[in-house]
Amino acid sequence: MPNDKVIRVDPVTRLEGHGALTIKLGSDGKVKDVQFNVGSTRFFEKFLEGRPMEEAPRITPRICGICPIPHHLASVKAVEAAWDVTPPPAAVKLRRLLIEAKQLSSHAIHFYALAAPDFVFGPFADPSVRNVAAVLKHLPDVAVQAIKLMEFGQELCRTVGAKAIHPTTAIPGGMLSPLKEDERDEWLKKVPEMLENINKTVELAKNVVNMYIDVVTKVAVTPTYYIGLVNDGKLDIYDGKVRVMDPDGKTVAEFEPKDYTNYYGEHIPGHSYATHIYYKPAGYPDGIWRANTLARCNVADEMATPLANEALKEMREVVGRPSHHTFAYHWARIIEMVQAAEWIKTLLEDPEIVSTDVKLSDVEPKAGNGVGIVEAPRGTLLHNYECDEKGIITKANLIVATNNNIAGIEKSLMDAARFVFEQKGHEKLKLPDPLVKT
Amino acid sequence: MTEQVSIALGQGSSCWGCFQSLIDIHLKLADVLPLLDIKYWQAVVDYKLSDLESYPDKSIAVGVYEGMARTEEDVHLLKTLRAKCKILIAFGTCSCFGGIPGMANFYDIEDCYDVKFRNNKTFSDGEVPSENVPPIESIVRPNRHYVDFDVYLPGCPPTSSLILTALTSLIEGKEIELPPHTVCHYCSREKKETPVPEILRPFKGNADPDRCLLEQGYICLGSATWGLCEGQCVNKGVTCRGCFGPPPPITQDHGAASISMLGSYAPLLPDELKEQVPDPIGYFWRFDYPSSHLGNMRIKREDAKNAK
Ligand code: SF4
Ligand code: SF4
Ligand code: SF4
Repeated sequence: MPNDKVIRVDPVTRLEGHGALTIKLGSDGKVKDVQFNVGSTRFFEKFLEGRPMEEAPRITPRICGICPIPHHLASVKAVEAAWDVTPPPAAVKLRRLLIEAKQLSSHAIHFYALAAPDFVFGPFADPSVRNVAAVLKHLPDVAVQAIKLMEFGQELCRTVGAKAIHPTTAIPGGMLSPLKEDERDEWLKKVPEMLENINKTVELAKNVVNMYIDVVTKVAVTPTYYIGLVNDGKLDIYDGKVRVMDPDGKTVAEFEPKDYTNYYGEHIPGHSYATHIYYKPAGYPDGIWRANTLARCNVADEMATPLANEALKEMREVVGRPSHHTFAYHWARIIEMVQAAEWIKTLLEDPEIVSTDVKLSDVEPKAGNGVGIVEAPRGTLLHNYECDEKGIITKANLIVATNNNIAGIEKSLMDAARFVFEQKGHEKLKLPDPLVKT
Repeated sequence: MTEQVSIALGQGSSCWGCFQSLIDIHLKLADVLPLLDIKYWQAVVDYKLSDLESYPDKSIAVGVYEGMARTEEDVHLLKTLRAKCKILIAFGTCSCFGGIPGMANFYDIEDCYDVKFRNNKTFSDGEVPSENVPPIESIVRPNRHYVDFDVYLPGCPPTSSLILTALTSLIEGKEIELPPHTVCHYCSREKKETPVPEILRPFKGNADPDRCLLEQGYICLGSATWGLCEGQCVNKGVTCRGCFGPPPPITQDHGAASISMLGSYAPLLPDELKEQVPDPIGYFWRFDYPSSHLGNMRIKREDAKNAK
């Protein structure tokens, strides 16, 4: 139709990776289609074939520099599942420390660098100021607390994982390096300051949520399914069962990682190299689910740590369970950050964390098929490998966190686009004065 | 205040890890960021590609390119950065050598499409996406096939302190000076110059924490790899896989050097070696296949096929 209008946002900024947005408007002003175009892919599933399976945890972190640790761990868990290996308990604690540290830094960077500029300067400020460098300039105290949280998380990852980005210490059967007592002591000393910065962040976030409550509760309210790991019903990012909740808030599935093909559907869109993952029994597009912070907070009955659980209750009083409010992802992120901080403290205080019994010495490869699932900051992450009797990979299937969200992103962008282009709703929104005027 | 240095940061097909490592200079950001005038950085500032395209040629002091060029759009961004920037930096191992995603060249692109889009455990009979997405190059060429770089900063990712050193030099207008040592130089493990009895896969046994891993039989590329990482893996019990590429001159063939290194430590017959090293190409050319001699032959084969 000649009168159709196509709006293209390329690249979508403040998103690591290749995203563009295509919005098609009909001549009647109605939003006809919203596409989220992911414009690149690197074929890890293919070139894992032929590699010794124990190398996968050293290769797959390169899928994502924001969540290399979840990849490292989902990968090693997949290998262990295929070879029937159970690592010693102290190794599992170290891995948990690693993934919680990553959760902390990733959530901090996301909140402060990717989301906060809009909230702090207002969404309509000039692009040259609406960024993290400007946060640094105009609100140095806030920036410093943000950076200290990121630093804490990233550096703790380095201590446990050898490298903060693309860690290398997890191996089928455990960890290649125990945590030394003096390292543990150093980290314990840093915990109080970290907790203080967490508290300040929670205060700031509450403030922002209250200011923008109209945006949180009215823009992009998009019912979908939700997916996340739970351990005894509690939110867990290292281990557990996968739970799926329907848009009405009913738990429709809870399954072991190895059974994922009964529940995971993958839709290959014509307009994106990133595929769309959905709840297979409901079909596509009805079964579109979302992962990530809010999804996990929706599917879990409660948080695993006390302060985080209080915060979850508070959020549920405002947005309910399940919450379909896309902007509540920021709120849920803060709640998860609290849980990560509490976990880190508990683990560092656990005497077993410095145990040297962190690696089995009798691991043997065998032919097998293994699935490993963890939660990455952006959602449920799945690695599945098959190997021959020498442990060489013959097939790989990777379902990365973001792909659980792309169809949901399109859906919520569709809702946002209708709100803006059809209902002109953004003109009626109550927006506060930005914290910093530019 | 020193005058700001204009900079444009571009992301090809990559994992964002190099940029994450830049951000991980932490509080130093407060010193460095105010000295930079960021003209383009898609994930961080709200400028669009058309903004970058509209700057006059050579008007930006420094360009930084992370990742390899997997799509036509990546190639375009790489060339645009080259045109607009006076100094262009190949940032990270993907950008310098092709990196881990360069391993896709072990296979034909159609086979890659098969497992990614056509048939896998969670889908069947899919089609390769083609609407509103840039076409994929059939082969990964090293970035330096497309443009000339002024600076190579390898590492997967380069460490934060290395990035800080480089940025500081650029801001001060000085040459970047980097020590030439290999990873072994920074490794605290003792070498006893004893031959490797047999090759062990890394999950086998428990390594002696004080002795060279290679001499114990675990393949370690430390002696063939540039030590800009200061030995972060090997000092935590983990063998080096060579993610920083070869020491200067970095155009030398890292994989070939690694194999001959192994040969000199492990006096095994070629047949024994073949039996004991399960995946030589994936071990020794993991990070730099596209820019190696072998990888270049692979690219030539692709060119011949496409010329038909
Ligand atoms: S060099 Fe490594 S860290 Fe940098 S983009 Fe490539 S894979 Fe990521
Ligand atoms: S070969 Fe590896 S383990 Fe041995 S000294 Fe060099 S870096 Fe260390
Ligand atoms: S030790 Fe080797 S693999 Fe590890 S960071 Fe250094 S160069 Fe990379």
